Amino acid sequence: MPHTTLVIGGGAAGIGAAGGVKAADPSNEVVVYTEFEDVGYSPCGIPYVHGKEIDSFERLFLAQKEAYVQAKIDVHYETRVNSIDLKRKVIDAVGEGEVRWDRLVIATGFDYADPGVPGGDLGGLYYVKNIRRAMEWDKVLDTVKSAVVVHATPLGVEMTTALAHRGLETHLIDPNPWALADMVDPDIIAPVQESWLELGVNLHFNTTLKSFDGDRSLSGVTTSAGTIPADLAVICTHKQSNVTLAATAGLKVGSTGGLIVNERMATSAPDVFAAGDCAELPHGLTRVGVSGLTGSHAYAQGKVAGFNAGGGTKAYQPVYVPWGTPAGKWVIGGASFGETLATALGIPYVVGRAEGISRARYYPGVKPIKIKLLAEPDQLRLIGAQMVGQEGIKERADFLATAVKFGLTLRDLAAMENVYSPAIGALNEPIAMAAQNGVDNASGGG
Amino acid sequence: MSLAGWLRGNAEHYLLVAAQDSVGRQYGANRPRRPRGVQENFWLRMFAPTYRVFPWALRIRVIRAMPGSHRQQWASWDAPPTKRDPGV
Repeated sequence: MPHTTLVIGGGAAGIGAAGGVKAADPSNEVVVYTEFEDVGYSPCGIPYVHGKEIDSFERLFLAQKEAYVQAKIDVHYETRVNSIDLKRKVIDAVGEGEVRWDRLVIATGFDYADPGVPGGDLGGLYYVKNIRRAMEWDKVLDTVKSAVVVHATPLGVEMTTALAHRGLETHLIDPNPWALADMVDPDIIAPVQESWLELGVNLHFNTTLKSFDGDRSLSGVTTSAGTIPADLAVICTHKQSNVTLAATAGLKVGSTGGLIVNERMATSAPDVFAAGDCAELPHGLTRVGVSGLTGSHAYAQGKVAGFNAGGGTKAYQPVYVPWGTPAGKWVIGGASFGETLATALGIPYVVGRAEGISRARYYPGVKPIKIKLLAEPDQLRLIGAQMVGQEGIKERADFLATAVKFGLTLRDLAAMENVYSPAIGALNEPIAMAAQNGVDNASGGG
Repeated sequence: MSLAGWLRGNAEHYLLVAAQDSVGRQYGANRPRRPRGVQENFWLRMFAPTYRVFPWALRIRVIRAMPGSHRQQWASWDAPPTKRDPGV
């Protein structure tokens, strides 16, 4: 029987959910509420437009607004939802009043953590999120000379690289000892940091933000190591699940701050689903909740949530978190745990390392790849990987996440077959080399 | 913020700082600054070493006891990878 499903949020999870509702039953009605002017674009692409790698913001849109009309997905733009009443199954939307629903999908995404310092209301503080604001800020970038990126999170890494490419005097400040220190190991990030220095970036690690300074508009950023004159600050603090609306309505929240869901992406309330950065997913190895994953996770979760909301049955699975990003002159990536996170949790591991190449050694454009594999010491089952190189990182991260998921061991990987073709693959696959090194280390031969 | 959220947030942060110190030393990399004040000293000098004393099996039981999505239905966990002979 057709349902009316309301989706709150028009990002990757929300649009995925709307499509899922229709996939379950094309006669379902689906309405998407977004407080922004657009839906279905790639905010993750914004740093690359700022960095001039992509020539226009229009390229970031997945579809034109007409495409949603044709798909019979009713999008209510610039319409904020004020409240959710779970018992009466209504929302209160600005300008529309109460709107009834049979099923509801929460896809409210994330907010940046409040920097929590004086001067947060000054002009010149840029939060990268909305594409229309990004278009405006892109023009501002043509007028400024110096910028401070606040925190070396994944977005901070991308924006640092983008601003350096743009030719701005760029400063990166972070309270940790190296970039992405919560997830990336120092040996993997070291080449990235060296390349930033080559690009002229000023790195300020173990440095705490104290205040944004200026009169109406930013003129500098004061840190624990002194004041940095700056025309612009890009705020790239950690993502926090945006659950205010849902939690106020009474939905249960997990220890990450994300909404509690099961494999159907169903929340603690009947007929209410959640997906994307506002939801908490279990990690496949630790079986502990994590949140703040990638756009591909959000979209896939949205499709599952929407399909189930639309009357179908689909299950999402625990996550093993393949990740990767260009950073400086390199590409870094990995899956599941690195040494820092495994050490923090106290998970025992053995390591296999290798430095290999991406193509035949004689083929033009050959690039180095450094790979590190982590395995549990008993059976040598893979528990994580990290890499730095310039090509083939994404594909290896995807493969290694799947290898972790299905319990492959270092012995399996040491004996893996690999493509050899001079232009696209070397004789020796770096993953196999690292795995063999790990087997040798575990047996005391390394 | 819930008690579980507060506990997890602090524990996760300071265990990572302690791990950055250990892994940073191992690689000859930059290391975190020394702890300052009562809060940082408690978490880094008391909590983190105490956490490490307990075996992983006990730690993960405590962690999994926290509220969250991991305590809901996830059928794929019903058939985890089985113990296998070496591949070669």
